[in-house]
Amino acid sequence: MREDLRALLLVTLWDVRKVARYKVFLLMRFAWFIVQVSVFAVLISYLVTIRSLGTSGIGYYEYYLFGAYTALLFSISMFRGYEIAEEFEEGIIEYQLSLPIKRRILAIGRTIGGGIASFIYTLPMMLFILLLLGITNPVLIAIAVLSALAFSIGIVGLAINIVFGLKSGDKTDILFGVVDALLVRLSTIFYPLPFLSVFPPYFYAAMYNPLSNMADFLRALFFFQDLKIFIHAPPENLVSYIVGLSVGLSILAMLFIERRVEGGGWK
Amino acid sequence: MEPAVEIVDLVKRFGNTIAVDKLNLSIYDGEIFGLLGPNGSGKSTTLLIISTVYKPTSGDVYVYGKSVVKNSDEVRKYVGIAFQEPKALWVDKPYEILLWHAMVVGYSMSDARKVVRQVMEDLGVWEYRNKMFSELSGGNKKKVELAKVFIQKPRLAIFDEPTAQLDVITKHQVWNMIEDLRRNGSTIIVATNEMSEAERLSDRIGIMYRGKLRALGTPEELKDGIPGGDIIEIIVDGPVRESFVEAIKNDIDAVRIDLKDAVIRIYVNKGEEKIARVVDMFSRGGLKVRQISLKEPTLDDVFFYYTGAKLAGDNN
Ligand SMILES: Nc1ncnc2c1ncn2[C@@H]1O[C@H](COP(=O)(O)OP(=O)(O)OP(=O)(O)O)[C@@H](O)[C@H]1O
Ligand SMILES: [Mg+2]
Repeated sequence: MREDLRALLLVTLWDVRKVARYKVFLLMRFAWFIVQVSVFAVLISYLVTIRSLGTSGIGYYEYYLFGAYTALLFSISMFRGYEIAEEFEEGIIEYQLSLPIKRRILAIGRTIGGGIASFIYTLPMMLFILLLLGITNPVLIAIAVLSALAFSIGIVGLAINIVFGLKSGDKTDILFGVVDALLVRLSTIFYPLPFLSVFPPYFYAAMYNPLSNMADFLRALFFFQDLKIFIHAPPENLVSYIVGLSVGLSILAMLFIERRVEGGGWK
Repeated sequence: MEPAVEIVDLVKRFGNTIAVDKLNLSIYDGEIFGLLGPNGSGKSTTLLIISTVYKPTSGDVYVYGKSVVKNSDEVRKYVGIAFQEPKALWVDKPYEILLWHAMVVGYSMSDARKVVRQVMEDLGVWEYRNKMFSELSGGNKKKVELAKVFIQKPRLAIFDEPTAQLDVITKHQVWNMIEDLRRNGSTIIVATNEMSEAERLSDRIGIMYRGKLRALGTPEELKDGIPGGDIIEIIVDGPVRESFVEAIKNDIDAVRIDLKDAVIRIYVNKGEEKIARVVDMFSRGGLKVRQISLKEPTLDDVFFYYTGAKLAGDNN
């Protein structure tokens, strides 16, 4: 058991230590994000006037910030998951499969590691938002960090499942594009759920969409009083959904990888 | 004594290709076993199955009694492999790669630092420790790959063509390190195309050809095992007809004759008595002999005998 935990930690490190290598990528993403939330978000929030319900003047701007963050975390996690699966095709997996690590630990470790790495990429963005909004409550911040982490692990798991669920590389690329585009669109990332009720399929898709649950959870966490009419479920449901998603998808990813390598090896 | 590795009816197919074809082989505890064979004969595939990277199509391999099919988690505790193609992410640095590896195979952080440095110095790659992997020369990439096994010191150490891209000095260094590893209790399998390497290192040698084991024994046994212990090697100008080869074979009672390009190898007993007769037949046949020699078989001949082009005397 101790050995397994040690192995798990080391496998996780395989992905986490890569973060440092993408400094330039990270910086550009960060710069773009700052433009997005300080220019576009402000402009949009002038266009979209939502009657502020609280007395604090909280409105679409705050709503948008969490959406933008969630969308970013999602696309970076999908990308990491895709990269992990790509490594499988490129021979690194042959090396890792030869190591004295249980297959199960290897699979779950790569998923968790990918999730942590994705989250670390987005940490500056999250801190920037919190700074913009003047949020300082350490407990709330810790909850936000943990839920974002769970979310990114789940999404990495989702990406791995897509790659292993499909045999052909072309199909995988297409499905990735579609999932990426659809999940961001059919969510409450930018449009509050009540506005979507004019079109029921859209409404329900958005309601069960992991991105909606993540973004709405962050909104509820920090601005429950002001944004509650836009949020479709109680925060504890949202967070349960995220944790459930994360656990479910990473276990599924683990099983997919295990099945691929059952009976010894993977080819 | 229980063998270190027991390969039982092992078959591995890739689509229509049969890479390993009903292979049976035991490797003893504590020996250095040389696995020889031409390109594509199934050496790497066999090694990858032993190290649980690939799964057998059928059959099984037992490593210290543990099945690679049923107990792969257990097998991997014993095995370390240096791949034919070095495996690392191109942006990684050798020191990071090996430090991570050392920790995974069980070293504490401080011991890992020590052993990684030691092995990198032994292999002469310490100065490249912080270069990007992709920027290393082919030979240095290979050394980083080999370092993994020397760091791990596994009970069963597998090297797939360990010295293929190395300079002469490093080659000898690596051979010494492999021998040290065995002295410290590891069983070793080395796949190679190089006879000198196999002969220098191996206690026993297996020759694979098209997924099957064609010969097995100590280097001496293999050399003695070639029918017609002497070889008359002749290089001629111009083409040689098959009927002519057949005529020589009958005339001097050769065990077998291999013809490859302009080189004719005649396997006979008592070669020294027959060499004059052979020259005579060639000149009467109008073929100009450029060079002729009589020699004891080398491992090259053994290899050639079991895997090479066969013309006459092939009764397999
Ligand atoms: N992953 C794979 N997918 C498909 N075919 C493969 C794969 N690996 C090996 N083969 C095929 O299996 C056969 C044996 O290959 P293998 O690599 O085991 O040979 P080898 O003896 O190691 O050769 P070499 O001396 O060139 O390294 C070859 O025909 C090869 O094309
Ligand atoms: Mg090979």
